[in-house]
Amino acid sequence: MKRSAAEIIEEYGPFPGVEAVHGVTFDGRQVWFASGEKVNALDPANGKVVRSIEVAAHAGTAFDGRHLFQIAEDRIHRIDPATGRVLATIPAPGNGGDSGLAWAEGTLWVGQHRGRKIHQIDPETGKILRTIESNRVVTGVTWVDGELWHGTWEGDESDVRRIDPQTGEVLERLEMPAGAGVSGLESDGADRFFCGGGRSGKVRAVRRPRGE
Amino acid sequence: MDSLINAAARALAAGDLLGALKRVALRDDPPALALRGIAMAQLGDLARARALLHRAARGFGPREAVARARCVVAEAEIALVSRELGWPARTLAAARAALEAHGDRVNSAHARHLEVRRLLLIGRLDEAERALAALEPMALPPALRAAHELVVAGIAMRRLHTRTARAALARAGTAAREAGVPALMAEVEGTTATLDRPAARLIARGTERALLLDEVETLLASGALVVDACRNVVREADTVVSLATRPVLFAIVRALAEAWPADVPRSALLARAFRARHADDSHRARLRVEVGRLRAALRPLAEVNATERGFALAPVGAREVVVLAPPVEEKHAAVLAFLADGESWSSSALALALGASARTVQRALEALAEAGKVQSFGRGRARRWMSPPVPGFPTTLLLPGPLPGG
Repeated sequence: MKRSAAEIIEEYGPFPGVEAVHGVTFDGRQVWFASGEKVNALDPANGKVVRSIEVAAHAGTAFDGRHLFQIAEDRIHRIDPATGRVLATIPAPGNGGDSGLAWAEGTLWVGQHRGRKIHQIDPETGKILRTIESNRVVTGVTWVDGELWHGTWEGDESDVRRIDPQTGEVLERLEMPAGAGVSGLESDGADRFFCGGGRSGKVRAVRRPRGE
Repeated sequence: MDSLINAAARALAAGDLLGALKRVALRDDPPALALRGIAMAQLGDLARARALLHRAARGFGPREAVARARCVVAEAEIALVSRELGWPARTLAAARAALEAHGDRVNSAHARHLEVRRLLLIGRLDEAERALAALEPMALPPALRAAHELVVAGIAMRRLHTRTARAALARAGTAAREAGVPALMAEVEGTTATLDRPAARLIARGTERALLLDEVETLLASGALVVDACRNVVREADTVVSLATRPVLFAIVRALAEAWPADVPRSALLARAFRARHADDSHRARLRVEVGRLRAALRPLAEVNATERGFALAPVGAREVVVLAPPVEEKHAAVLAFLADGESWSSSALALALGASARTVQRALEALAEAGKVQSFGRGRARRWMSPPVPGFPTTLLLPGPLPGG
């Protein structure tokens, strides 16, 4: 396993009226982040929130190319980002103990916080297809280039780690500095991760290591 | 934090207690237990709240020191509001240190205030003041700033610095309004009102009148010889002779001070000091001995002169002699004074606060209960005492914001 310090490239926020960031995703241009009763679109080029959708948003956020998925209490809502309408709802696999959310290859991946698990679910029905065990609380999930990454935040320690999607084995860890927790994780498809910063109200960009 | 915990914490912060409970009612993981504990505390079910917070604190893992410490602080606040003053202060201090170490400034300041409020309640003013000095009030959010100023006012009032107390209460009022917490505003108003109620009685040259706290302060600074029956001391400006552990001597000096500048007949002194109805020779001999002791004790301040029929007080420097008495004088007045705060007290907490033995306090409470002046509920160790009418429970539960996680 490789260990290194996470390199924070950029910090966005805190934003007015935002008490905490509970989930993040990226639609190719904007970073969307969940802040309790809103999902907000952040322009990473200038750090400004360009628009917000009023919808319950208590944990992970994901984007499938057309729609936003947002965890609210013990449900996952599919939202049309253009209108803000909730188009469909499925049960969340952790019954409300859900934390991170990611979209990859036609399925949703849901982190279950204290359950220390990642579930792969059917985005139409919410049916659990597969479960990977982690040894840390899961606070964010993302896929990039066939790599499965997830955020952990246990009390005072937080990191972003790459795991083997088959076995759950930890392959690489990026340790966050003290006081910077990860709540919500999304790759930009290239060399950045966007990390929700929990009650700091910030979104952080962390460099994704390239190697091998 | 996970989805439902976030939703419940938001509901709690917005005052929607039932909404918060609904979301975590069936969960037994530590963050859910902590949230349920806080909601229960705010609903007034303090016993259940403590049990839940205790379980939550124990459930958090070794990497979750902050979440655990926040639970401990919430538990300590409930103990303080319940007047369980024997609650381990060390546990609270350790939690405060953990919060400080992890940069949770607000909650560590909150913990510090709880420590100070406990010290204030049990009369350890010097320690309270020292602990308070470690805090920087302007850096605190409004609710904590109000709590801070209330403690400053509490210390100042007990030290008879009324101007300092009024200034602190004015700042507390501003901060409480800024915070928008009604319970805090009410507490500030209540405390301010006590400054406008008689704090003592002045007995001088055969007359008697009520004194406000500021008047007491002025009196003590006036240079008069004050026989202070609130604290059982004799003082003139900064010179204080304590007779707190010598009740017979105090009874004699008080009788002499009440009669000043006249003298007091031996028979009257015997009645006051020894409750003796008929004076015989042995009583007279005892009185001589006690007056001798009193002379020695008062030496820097006053002389006790023999007169034809008894004794008279003659101040050395002061031009006036007065008696400062509690506003209401009855047996067990101190116990009643503590119960007047409207909280429910255990007898052991009262003993701690009064610096008396548990047995003494127990006897006082039973006597007061027989006279219908106090009432108790619960049995055994859980028994609590209040002065009727039973007031609403509790005043300011300034529990730290939505608890768990980062």
